[in-house]
Amino acid sequence: MGLTLRQFDGDPASPEPPPTLSSIIGTGAHRFDAAYLHVPFCFHKCHYCDFYSVVDADDQQESFIERLVGEVELQARHVSGPLDSVFMGGGTPTLLRPELLSRLLEAISTHLPLSDGCEWTVEANPETVTPEIAEVLAAGGVNRASIGCQSFSPRLLRALERRHDPASVPRAVESLRRAGIGSCSLDLIMGIPGSSMADWRSDLEQAIALEPDHLSCYGLQYEPNTPLAAKLARGRVEAVAQEVEAGMYEWTCERLRTAGWEQYEISNWARPGRCCRHNLVYWTGGSWLAMGPSAAGHLDGVRWRNVPRHASWQAGDGWPLLEDLERLDDSTRHGEQLMLELRLNRGIELDRLDCMVQGDGCEQRRVAIETGRRDGLLELESGRLRLTARGRLLADSLLCQLV
Amino acid sequence: MNIRNFSIIAHIDHGKSTLADRLLQETRAVDERKHKDQLLDSMDLERERGITIKAAAVTVPWEFGGEHYQLNFIDTPGHVDFTYEVSRALTACEGAVLVVDAAQGIQAQTVANAYLAVENDLELIPVINKIDLPAADPVRVAMEIEQVLGLPAEDCIQVSAKTGEGIRELLDAICEKLPDPPAPTTDKLRALIFDSHYDDYRGVVVSTRVFDGKLSVGQKILMMGTGRPWTVTDLGKNTPFPVQVKELGTNEAGWMVASIKTLGDVRVGDTITLQSDPAPEALPGYEEPKQMVFCDFYPATSAGGGKKGDFETLREAMERLHINDASFTYEVQHSEALGFGFRCGFLGLLHMDIVQERIEREGGVEIVQTAPTVSYMIDLKDGSSVEIQNPADLPDPNHIEGIREPIVKLEMICPEDNIGDLMKLCDARRGIFKSQQYLSETRQILDFELPLAEIIYDFYDKLKSITRGYGTMDYEIIGYRQDNLSKVSIMVNGQPVEALSLICHRSNAEHRSRAILAKLRKQIDRHQFEIALQAAIGGKIIARETVKALRKNVTAKCYGGDITRKRKLLEKQKAGKQRMKTIGSVNIPQEAFMAVLEQE
Repeated sequence: MGLTLRQFDGDPASPEPPPTLSSIIGTGAHRFDAAYLHVPFCFHKCHYCDFYSVVDADDQQESFIERLVGEVELQARHVSGPLDSVFMGGGTPTLLRPELLSRLLEAISTHLPLSDGCEWTVEANPETVTPEIAEVLAAGGVNRASIGCQSFSPRLLRALERRHDPASVPRAVESLRRAGIGSCSLDLIMGIPGSSMADWRSDLEQAIALEPDHLSCYGLQYEPNTPLAAKLARGRVEAVAQEVEAGMYEWTCERLRTAGWEQYEISNWARPGRCCRHNLVYWTGGSWLAMGPSAAGHLDGVRWRNVPRHASWQAGDGWPLLEDLERLDDSTRHGEQLMLELRLNRGIELDRLDCMVQGDGCEQRRVAIETGRRDGLLELESGRLRLTARGRLLADSLLCQLV
Repeated sequence: MNIRNFSIIAHIDHGKSTLADRLLQETRAVDERKHKDQLLDSMDLERERGITIKAAAVTVPWEFGGEHYQLNFIDTPGHVDFTYEVSRALTACEGAVLVVDAAQGIQAQTVANAYLAVENDLELIPVINKIDLPAADPVRVAMEIEQVLGLPAEDCIQVSAKTGEGIRELLDAICEKLPDPPAPTTDKLRALIFDSHYDDYRGVVVSTRVFDGKLSVGQKILMMGTGRPWTVTDLGKNTPFPVQVKELGTNEAGWMVASIKTLGDVRVGDTITLQSDPAPEALPGYEEPKQMVFCDFYPATSAGGGKKGDFETLREAMERLHINDASFTYEVQHSEALGFGFRCGFLGLLHMDIVQERIEREGGVEIVQTAPTVSYMIDLKDGSSVEIQNPADLPDPNHIEGIREPIVKLEMICPEDNIGDLMKLCDARRGIFKSQQYLSETRQILDFELPLAEIIYDFYDKLKSITRGYGTMDYEIIGYRQDNLSKVSIMVNGQPVEALSLICHRSNAEHRSRAILAKLRKQIDRHQFEIALQAAIGGKIIARETVKALRKNVTAKCYGGDITRKRKLLEKQKAGKQRMKTIGSVNIPQEAFMAVLEQE
């Protein structure tokens, strides 16, 4: 008789081992539309950001990439068909050393089945996009970049504790184009503390002038547990009045519409045919893989998030440990679909809408839709229910009645 | 046996309790080991606040001029709200020791209590206490006493309750200067109830002073005010520890137990007589306790979700406390806006504070207390009158001839420099100037008549801040008087919110309304439409605030990883809305009503 030592991974008082992704996709093969990879490294934590990130961890890049590559290989075995998009976000994926970045891209294209013309996006901090990095990205198969521009005003960037030189944005766009990555999206933030309508106009005009094919214009959100939210609570920054922010938003819609841009979601605009396919997977109930710490995935009504622990997000067998594992019932799934698809300008086809609001216990949803139409937040247009311009500004007031 | 029945009267903090202790100690009545500071105050709360709420009688022996004396020291409650109880306790005495702090001199309550004693024909012995203090100025204080109360300065006895100096002289003076009790006027039993308290083991314990006849164990007695009979099961005296006796003779004071279950069955001021052989007339001065200040108590947690359990806990705490203090009233109050709570009536402001504190402390329940109001007499056109304590109970304005409100006689003692500011304050509070008198070269006594409603609303704080803490006040309710009073309705989008209505004088209706609307505005979230918050008298709008329409309420970002979180945030928003009250299609959180009504 030998002595069996049992090792617990986690709370020794809990008899259940924490769930890993293996329990969801570890057997058989599953149909996925996309893959998301999270690279948590940043050189500075911006004061509005609530994404999972680690700072000052250069020496950990190599071991991290090794483990992430292992995870790509492991998860790839359970994907049945080609993926239509890959998105590498962060953190700052472009902060990786070129050889490590290259290694990760190679693993993705080698192991994951990618469709012809697969949209492959990398999120980029403008200052990190050197000509060398741009070359590595292009050579590795990346065909789209999403640049965290936020503002062109040094004063407003400072208000966000975002430390990049605004001049680095055109330089990054240029480097990417020279390397052959022509599809570029710029992220802008409206309503930064201390910003006026004139500031916003200037930011948007400068972004348009760089001729990206996609623009995300986000109203600043004071996310709980961020330094910016704490400053707001203590009165050290003053939020832009909602009248002003609403004016900025309305002006943006009008300015981009007349310039031939298509608004396809509350905060997103694209040149014709250039909507972000990856985002649409999120918003139309598609399934996607999640790799790396804190990445969130979805497969047919099951949602999960890998634990946000850089050092130990994986179990011993290489599968990510999970938190927030959730199996949605029909009603919750319908609520999510309403929440997400009504944010799209195209709205929801009435036939599909029917099955989301006809069941027992959906009375409240039906009343909310009627009230929304009466209050001018919703409209019926060529067989679809969608938000009006006013509805887009007050979407949460409506959507909270539909979830 | 010589008997001396006396009280000690003083302004708060002038050292009454310490002096009482010292007197008992000097008569060797108190064993050093059993000696607790301030023996007569039995409740923690009283000890902490340095005030005496419940009276008690202590009997101690003293020898003077070779004769034995029985000193019955009758303690009095130390605050204005208990004026009636103080007056009953004084009625049980023939004399009083008037204590004045050697540094602070005469204060408002000193004067009020001294007048009360004089009204009751009591002989006064002026005592200047705390002469050990560095700031003591007994000569000046003696002059004040002579000036204001007409007691010769040279008659003042200088003592230090702390060091014991002058205590024996005081005991001698009590024997020498205070009169013998009067001879009985009838052979039938008449005993005055001057206090009562509840004891967990014995039920109600009544403190009484026998004026005529004698009270014995086993007697069937009758309380002449309430008309209720009881049987005496136990009699005793405090020496200061309780000692049973078979009887209390003429002019003696002590306690009585008679199987009385609740304090509500006993009225201070009532007369005890024999059921079989009653006195033809009760002792004079009996009055029903009258509640003058009203407010609502709600369980604090009800704002969070309105659990029934919190209300039940509060109810139990109220019931328990009422056994100990029958002088406050309470009845269940249900408001659409605020849920379940209690409408409570108190003798005065301090009484209200004490009850609130005891409910929280002894009942273990946290309460939200609404701002206090007073009772109003509503004279109707048909010639009848109704008394209301709640603006919501106001009859149809078309039937109202006039509204009367309680008026107090207010006496303030303050440094001369602050007279102007105090006059302005009283003027702004609809005060009528009555008199002004120099107390010394630097201090004055001001007399005003003011509506009670004006002093329950931050008046005392204002007085303290104007006089930098040196001013003192005392008030007494003198009756009801008609004034230009109106009911102000608060409306949300044209819909009246009864729970927020108030009665106030026309001249400050705008001011009060604006303060309420401003508070309410901060509590109501923006809606998709503009919300009008209005205050109105009759149909006339007198103040308005606007909650601007919501212009933007949208989550900008919704990444893949955000979906669950965003959905939960929206679900939380939805749940929040469902908990709110809807008035005129406006969602108002219960916290909003609380915030507006709560006392600051």
